[in-house]
Amino acid sequence: MSSPSSPAAPTFVIGKARTRMLGLTLDECIQAFFGGNALVAVIVLALITFFLFREGAQFFNQNRDNIRIYRLAGLEYVDYMRQQQEDHTALTRYLFDVRLRTLKHLTEVEHCSLAEANARLASFDDFAGRYGDAIEPVRGLVSDLTEVATAIKTKFTIGEDTKIQREQLLSVGKTAEAAAVVIQPVDFKSELAPILGTLPAYKEAAVVVRKNLEASLATIPALPVHSLQPRMDRFKQLTRDYLATFPTTLHAMEIWDYTRPVPLWKSFTGFMLGRQWLTASFWQDWYGIVPLFAGSLLISMIALFIAVPLGVGAAIYVNQIASSTEQGLIKPTIEFISAIPSVVLGFFGIAVLGQALRAVSQIQSLNWIPGFPFSERLNALTAGCLLALIAVPTIFTLAEDAINNVPRAFKEASFALGATRMQTILRIIVPASLSGIVSAILLGLGRVIGETMVVLLCAGNRIQIPDFSVGLSVVTQPVHTMTGIIAQEMGEVPQGSIHYRALFMVGVALFFLALLINFFAQKIVRKYRISIG
Amino acid sequence: MVTVTPSPSLTSTAAPMETPAAPTKFSVTVPPASAAKSGVATTLINIENFDFYYGAKQALFDINLKLDDKRVTAFIGPSGCGKSTLLRCLNRMNDLIDGTSIKRGSISIRDVDIYGRDVDAIELRKRVGMVFQKSNPFPKSIYENITYGLRIQGVKTKSRLDEVVEKSLRGAALWDEVKDRLHESGLGLSGGQQQRLCIARTIAVEPEVILMDEPCSALDPIATSKVEELIHELKKQFTIIIVTHSMQQAARCSDKTAFFYMGKLIEYDDTRNIFMNPANPQTEAYVSGRFG
Ligand SMILES: Nc1ncnc2c1ncn2[C@@H]1O[C@H](COP(=O)(O)OP(=O)(O)OP(=O)(O)O)[C@@H](O)[C@H]1O
Ligand SMILES: [Mg+2]
Repeated sequence: MSSPSSPAAPTFVIGKARTRMLGLTLDECIQAFFGGNALVAVIVLALITFFLFREGAQFFNQNRDNIRIYRLAGLEYVDYMRQQQEDHTALTRYLFDVRLRTLKHLTEVEHCSLAEANARLASFDDFAGRYGDAIEPVRGLVSDLTEVATAIKTKFTIGEDTKIQREQLLSVGKTAEAAAVVIQPVDFKSELAPILGTLPAYKEAAVVVRKNLEASLATIPALPVHSLQPRMDRFKQLTRDYLATFPTTLHAMEIWDYTRPVPLWKSFTGFMLGRQWLTASFWQDWYGIVPLFAGSLLISMIALFIAVPLGVGAAIYVNQIASSTEQGLIKPTIEFISAIPSVVLGFFGIAVLGQALRAVSQIQSLNWIPGFPFSERLNALTAGCLLALIAVPTIFTLAEDAINNVPRAFKEASFALGATRMQTILRIIVPASLSGIVSAILLGLGRVIGETMVVLLCAGNRIQIPDFSVGLSVVTQPVHTMTGIIAQEMGEVPQGSIHYRALFMVGVALFFLALLINFFAQKIVRKYRISIG
Repeated sequence: MVTVTPSPSLTSTAAPMETPAAPTKFSVTVPPASAAKSGVATTLINIENFDFYYGAKQALFDINLKLDDKRVTAFIGPSGCGKSTLLRCLNRMNDLIDGTSIKRGSISIRDVDIYGRDVDAIELRKRVGMVFQKSNPFPKSIYENITYGLRIQGVKTKSRLDEVVEKSLRGAALWDEVKDRLHESGLGLSGGQQQRLCIARTIAVEPEVILMDEPCSALDPIATSKVEELIHELKKQFTIIIVTHSMQQAARCSDKTAFFYMGKLIEYDDTRNIFMNPANPQTEAYVSGRFG
């Protein structure tokens, strides 16, 4: 700084006059603006997470109460017997299936007339009839007890409702009316007595069932069609396995105690691992996410199975092989797909694709394809195909980016060593951009898992774990999805009810799934940036 | 469109230039042995009346050049004069660029026209390898970098690959530095090592010709001298064509030198003559460092 004693020294001016608003310079204002925007985004995300959790977390308490009343009212106890009855029904279904195959063989291969074929199956039908009737004693018990247990549950629910009513009256200060509300406490011990009292009867019934089954097994007739005999042998084994479960069931019933508390984690595992999503049932509601998750997974896998080769293939083609005219044509076209509203795609799926797929599946010469022919127009395959369409632009764009980022020098070096175009693509370009491609696929998966409209319209919406045991033909089964169920049911449930909260929890699960997928995608991209520079 | 005026004369002036001063002391010293190589060289590559275009833009004008077998030829000239373009024509790397065309002339190697109808560019590139200005090892291990050329030809035998890796790395004077880390990434080497790795990768497929486009421009003097020593060794076995901006390097390494200007070949002669006694005033101006 210049000092007054030496006025000749030139002043070294580096300061600059700045206009200030609210004490901030222009630069600082711009900074504050952008910083503020970023902050708002972060806060909104945090709020979403918070409210999602707050709404969802209530679910576990409610679900625990839900499971507790299932136990208190004896529904659980009755379900032991019911399970036994249902397992038996599954076995009779198996028998029925064998009969159907035999009949088909007789008429189609051996060219019997229908009457003749039925006649040859007479001894089988006789056996099947005896086998089916064997369960009667247990069935009778179950249907009686179902009513009793339902009555207890209803009584309890009414009691809970009056409690709420009284609390509402109290909260608005109507003390007199509140006092007038009578709450009938449910004495579970005495209510359950008639149910528990049937244990000896059940024991007897079980013995009879066992004797019946063993007797019918002993007189099992030989099938008229020899080639189907292995199925009957398998049936015998299944029956023996079934009989082996009897003691376990009995033991469980003997030690059953309605007072046993339901731990909170049961509510959690019941949700995460529950194999049933059953709502508004007269018996018992179950909120298990597995069928929905499995549906989402199945559809996503189908979609990726189709979209990955298409998206990555198109990306490689456009970036490495196509002429610039082709590039100019293909790129905007694929990117345009993502501009189609998904509800329009869903509409297309119902009106065109579903029909077309079903028609194709019913072509005789295509019967060898697993799952063909199918009769459901709306199924996982239809939805998967449409979701593939949605995933392709995402995968294509990101994969093309990744491939484009491979330095040209690698390609030139490869060519200079005498590699063909295909060798260069497969050995240099794809490996060098692999992590980018993988993260493109993951983000495509995220896109597909979160897609709602298309699956709601086209997946068939049957809440059931797809039967993976039938192999590839599982893809033609109708399924329901996590996103679909929220969209479908959220509008109809009373706010704050357990069903409402269960839907929130499905949303939370989706949120975590998306988070996980994004996390991995980013991790992979980061690694990729380091390796290619 | 640029109209082509055939200019067969080596001394034709394409653009006005400053008049060169009388030859004085050149900044370059030419080793006397360089030109006086024993034995008579035979022509390997014959470029005749070659015109080359990037789209409508002509990059090479009527090039006539005979390159000797088992010798080092240097291409020199100011930036943008077409050295790289010509070099990349020799192994048809320019085929990869859209819109390039050859309107006239031919290039033949051992009397085979490399742009002929039944020539496969892939096969050609196996015979004519290339080392680039910026070292470009693949993002793979050193071992895989070197075996890449053989693997794409279908060689799978481990013993054969091992053998080639050692031989090529020794040939590229890199063996002792990397023999313990063959399976580490080639990107982990220093710049000079990477460039020698690229040379090793090129010689692994045993080409006849190695094209080098400014192979030392990104290297420090020590790495450069290593590569230059390597070139001396390699020319016993390979025909080498090197593009360089360093007069010293051209003088040190090459047997013959071609000087280009504005897409035309101005002068081509023994390196010794080019540097000590150029016939063309433009050449003289360039090698004496007065323009370029
Ligand atoms: N891919 C291309 N497309 C169009 N023109 C090009 C292309 N590559 C080079 N050119 C042009 O061709 C001419 C010769 O370029 P070239 O790369 O052969 O020069 P060079 O002598 O190697 O220069 P440098 O010493 O700077 O590497 C230049 O005018 C350049 O602009
Ligand atoms: Mg160049």
